[in-house]
Amino acid sequence: MDLALRQLKIGVSGVRGVVGEAMTPELVVDFASAFGTYCGGGEVVIGRDTRLSSSMLHAAVLSALISTGTDVLDLGVCTTPAVSHAVRSRSAAGGISITGSHNDVRWNALKFVGPDGALLNAANTEELLDIYHASAFTLAPWQALGKRHVTAEASNAYVASILDAVDAATIRSKGLRIAVDFCNGAATELGKRFLDALGCQVIPLNDDADGSFAHLPAPSPANMRQLAALLRSVQADLGAAINVDGDRLGLVTHAGEALSEECVLPIVARHVLARREGPVVTNLSTSRMVEAVARQYGRECIRTSVGEGHVMDRALTESAALAGEGNGGVAALPHTTTFDALLSLATVLEAISVSGRSLADLAADLPAYHMRKAELPCPPTSVRRILDSFCERFREDRPDLTDGVRFDWPEAWLHVRASNTEPLVRIILEASSADDADRLFDECVTIARRAAWGHGGR
Amino acid sequence: MAANLLRRKQLALKISISGVRGIVGDALTPQLVTSFAAAFGAYAGAGPILVGTDTRPSREMVEYAVIAGLQSVGCTPVDVGILPVPALQLHVRRMGAFGGICLTASHNPIEWNALKFFGPDGILLRPHEAAELTDLYHQGIYPRVGGAAVPQVRHDSSAIPRHLEAVRQALDVESIRRAGIRVAVDCCNGAASRATPTFLEGLGCKVVAIHTDPDRPFPHSPEPVPENMTDLGMAVRESGADVGFVQDADADRLAIADQNGIPLGEEVTVALAVRHATRRSPGPVVVNVSTSRMIDDVCSETGCTLYRTKVGEINVVEKMLEVGARIGGEGNGGVIAPHINPCRDSFVAMGYILEAMATERATIRDLRSAIPAYAMLKERMPARPRDVPVALRRLQAACVGATLDFTDGVKAIWPDRWLQARASNTEPIIRVIAEAPTEPEARDLVRMARDAMENQGESV
Repeated sequence: MDLALRQLKIGVSGVRGVVGEAMTPELVVDFASAFGTYCGGGEVVIGRDTRLSSSMLHAAVLSALISTGTDVLDLGVCTTPAVSHAVRSRSAAGGISITGSHNDVRWNALKFVGPDGALLNAANTEELLDIYHASAFTLAPWQALGKRHVTAEASNAYVASILDAVDAATIRSKGLRIAVDFCNGAATELGKRFLDALGCQVIPLNDDADGSFAHLPAPSPANMRQLAALLRSVQADLGAAINVDGDRLGLVTHAGEALSEECVLPIVARHVLARREGPVVTNLSTSRMVEAVARQYGRECIRTSVGEGHVMDRALTESAALAGEGNGGVAALPHTTTFDALLSLATVLEAISVSGRSLADLAADLPAYHMRKAELPCPPTSVRRILDSFCERFREDRPDLTDGVRFDWPEAWLHVRASNTEPLVRIILEASSADDADRLFDECVTIARRAAWGHGGR
Repeated sequence: MAANLLRRKQLALKISISGVRGIVGDALTPQLVTSFAAAFGAYAGAGPILVGTDTRPSREMVEYAVIAGLQSVGCTPVDVGILPVPALQLHVRRMGAFGGICLTASHNPIEWNALKFFGPDGILLRPHEAAELTDLYHQGIYPRVGGAAVPQVRHDSSAIPRHLEAVRQALDVESIRRAGIRVAVDCCNGAASRATPTFLEGLGCKVVAIHTDPDRPFPHSPEPVPENMTDLGMAVRESGADVGFVQDADADRLAIADQNGIPLGEEVTVALAVRHATRRSPGPVVVNVSTSRMIDDVCSETGCTLYRTKVGEINVVEKMLEVGARIGGEGNGGVIAPHINPCRDSFVAMGYILEAMATERATIRDLRSAIPAYAMLKERMPARPRDVPVALRRLQAACVGATLDFTDGVKAIWPDRWLQARASNTEPIIRVIAEAPTEPEARDLVRMARDAMENQGESV
């Protein structure tokens, strides 16, 4: 690929870039200054994941927030949901979680949290970007500079809050054994404390919390091979993989079968919808499994653009019971306003404890669909052409243009869109039969390739 | 009217051989500091860089920006905390760091902060080195490291004890201890708030220390000049101290009060130190061109050669190293003894003064009386850089009959008085200094200089 792709993405997922390239401390200082200005002088909570570059971003964020006269509650190494919880419980003006989340070690990012503890929605992101683009930053004089405070209480309060959200007594009574891959991330210490409080015996994997990644951090089956192998060699009730900043969860059965990350939302939904009113909100790329579960409970399944900011924003306006995406990010409302891997895991543990069934059984209950995904590196200039070529191919069908282009057929659906976080076009589809899925997938990849490089190749 | 609307505001930033200096909440932004730190990291190379600070309330904001900038280019920030700038300078060399950055606007008021840059020898960047750094900053292209190679911050609290030990070793500690000198000291809630009482007690002094809380704002302007020494004067009188010391915020400069609490004037510090050092071991002396002629008297008394340089610590240090001087400094209270520490060091200054009192069994007033007294006036005139050459040429023309020296700005020397005007390294001003036998005569010189330079009008 000889196209110069800028390795920087700014949008509803925050500011994300390759460290040392687009992601410089100057960029971070500017964005944190914009955020401090946006928050208008109220307290801002910050936390960071364990990546080496996060300490650099952390220093840049602190300096910038202080310069705007913003008092900072610094949670240090800590998960995004813990930052979100601290923002809500302290009625802070906002929060910044410094984390490359599911991206590989080269990347890092700022996730901006609003006063409701949710990631900024599209409208608020736009306001923040206006301040950034105008460089209209508040500059406090020396007497009015912000102050940095640290506290250990915030993380204790966060753990207490998610313990409150589940039937801890029942979970405790089961004395579950869980293998957990912490990915050396920010959830390592919090997660151990939390699972200990749930009476679980934890077999830890990658729990050095030093930011070294034994595998890519996204909790997909490909990245859970180490965990799956561990489960085949030890006796445990299940395995859990937790993303570096504690937002996404992956699950492995006692037998060492890594479940697709798409399974987390429907497994949690089956348990939660029996106990709580409200619709489910997910994105346009997520498996139909959750739709089927919602239908069982007579609930609506609302689909939004891809990205936690979009999904949570809708979930909060719809008073949803549950929000989540197919990447393992799930928020069990009203206990959280952000995707929370530990809370999701606790909900799964609750489902297992209450039902007395294994994770493998719960997974087997889910309807079987066949999903295919492809990523095509692609300059922004080609995105339109790719989407148009799909509309042309399926011109008899009505496309949903909310986020890229999506087609919904009785036995299959197809979603093609530009990534929020990387210079890629993603093709995602799902069909009731594996053959249909393969056939559709082959055709879609061909369509996209041809369109990406224009007519007759590059 | 249009001219009024277009009038430029007073700049709150100065980038010079003295470092990067600006007003917090104005030009000294985290953006600027981050980039300058990245430029310094690029200049120094990817190794350990010491980062220390004085006690200004803006220190956190500036320090985090420095750390992020250094990390981004692969330097390991070594946080040495709040410390006297001479302690940081000594530590850079001792631990083999690639360089150092001290966050201090020294004697500037509290709304200012600054970055001072040091090479691997712990010495301020030479003018040509500072020029290279500034070029790197202006080019704006820094060798950033990738996410997996970002170095982590280290902490080191050994700089202060090692510095105090180094100064102690250069002193006749036994004699000073035996003298049991009572010392009142004003640390200005600055970087030496912890170190100075420890140092003085270690020399057997009975110490009354005021303004030693680094978390409180400066109790007075941090410049160690007589008008900022009323608290010290009271402390001397109340405690019956034999001598009073006041340090500036970063503890490179020292001013002295006598046993009655009367300030001796900051020019006396280097004169006393030079006299003491050269009486014990004669040798060349280096001061800047703005320093009192008391130094000429001292050097005649002890038969030492005196060199004068452009103003700026680095210029004095460079000359000292070149001619092998063991004592020198600046009239602003900065004493330099390169064989101990090649920079202005208020601990060296205190040590020498106490050693002089102890070994000569003299009061501080006696020591002062051994050197002639002159009246010196220092004034500042706001001036844009573009206006400075014209102003200086006008002054030169007005100084009929004087010997002219162009080492730094214009210095006009008459048999019993002198007058100097030069652009400040740190602020957009012209500094005017006059020294004469009496204060009215010095005042006349300053007035003459002002009249000559202000005469240029607003036409530029």
